[in-house]
Amino acid sequence: MFYSSSLLRRATMVIASGTLVASSAGAATQGTLGVNSTGTVSITASVAARAQITGLTDVTFAAVDPTVAASNAQSDCVWTNTLNRGYSITASGSGTASAFTLASSSSLTVPYTVQWAASTGQTSGTALTTGTAATGMTSLAANPTCSTAPSTTSSLVIGISSANLLTMTAATSYTGTLTLLITPQ
Amino acid sequence: MRRDLRAGGIAWRLMAALITAMPAAASADVQINRLSDMTFGALPTTGADQVQTESVCAASGLIGGLYSVTATGSGSGGLFTLANGSAALPYEVQWSATAGQSSGTNLTAGSALTGLTAALLNCTLGPNASLIVVIRGAQIVKATAGSYSGTLTIILSAN
Repeated sequence: MFYSSSLLRRATMVIASGTLVASSAGAATQGTLGVNSTGTVSITASVAARAQITGLTDVTFAAVDPTVAASNAQSDCVWTNTLNRGYSITASGSGTASAFTLASSSSLTVPYTVQWAASTGQTSGTALTTGTAATGMTSLAANPTCSTAPSTTSSLVIGISSANLLTMTAATSYTGTLTLLITPQ
Repeated sequence: MRRDLRAGGIAWRLMAALITAMPAAASADVQINRLSDMTFGALPTTGADQVQTESVCAASGLIGGLYSVTATGSGSGGLFTLANGSAALPYEVQWSATAGQSSGTNLTAGSALTGLTAALLNCTLGPNASLIVVIRGAQIVKATAGSYSGTLTIILSAN
């Protein structure tokens, strides 16, 4: 018996946890008349904490064998500009109360699991609970979109257990949206 | 004969009086004035360059109003960098010998930009030059979050 399901996911860019206000380093000084004349200018600026996730792709489980657990791993890019390049990730599904579930047009549902690893090329990671931030992640991204090496920094792993696959109706499409929220730390 | 000597003495005194009566501004002195602090505030991380410009006074008593300008930053070795602890945010400095400009000639830290001219002998009149500071968007995106500050020193010289 074969089932098909598809999982749509969506990337979410997280905006700043706070804007830091620049402090004044001193006042400008004016030069006096002379062979040389020297003046100074104080310059201040601030950079707010920011994070961005890119490189996500949609996940499709097509005609899977329900006797075998299905899993899909992808590498993506997470960038943050905090001192330690730290971030947290919060995932939420499109099911009831943001549950990680896929639904058919006739309201049949099937749960899936979400794992996250703060390194690229992984097939397993920290299991995420919907709406709960997984903290202590760090990124090596050099810029917001990983346009320079490393091209990916982290792994997203989506899974459906065999037990849950066996509850699905054959030849029926199940879809859902997974939202990922990255917060700089 | 004695009368001729006396006449020569008067001539010397007149010359001395003329020389000392020349205005100080006609000397080779220069002056930079009307400088203000620059506050960029919170920099956007959109990748856009951030520019601050101010009109300043650059006066020169040298013939032709010639002067040179040299800038140094407070970064290591005089580099144009703002500091946030150990983190640094580079910036660029430009100079224009005209007031109200938003771009000018790039200055290299510690190197004089020569051949500039000023129509002002002193800074009692309005500004006549522009100091421009640019923080590149590419540098902002790479910068660690936090508050940055630094001091830019501008030296005008008569040459």
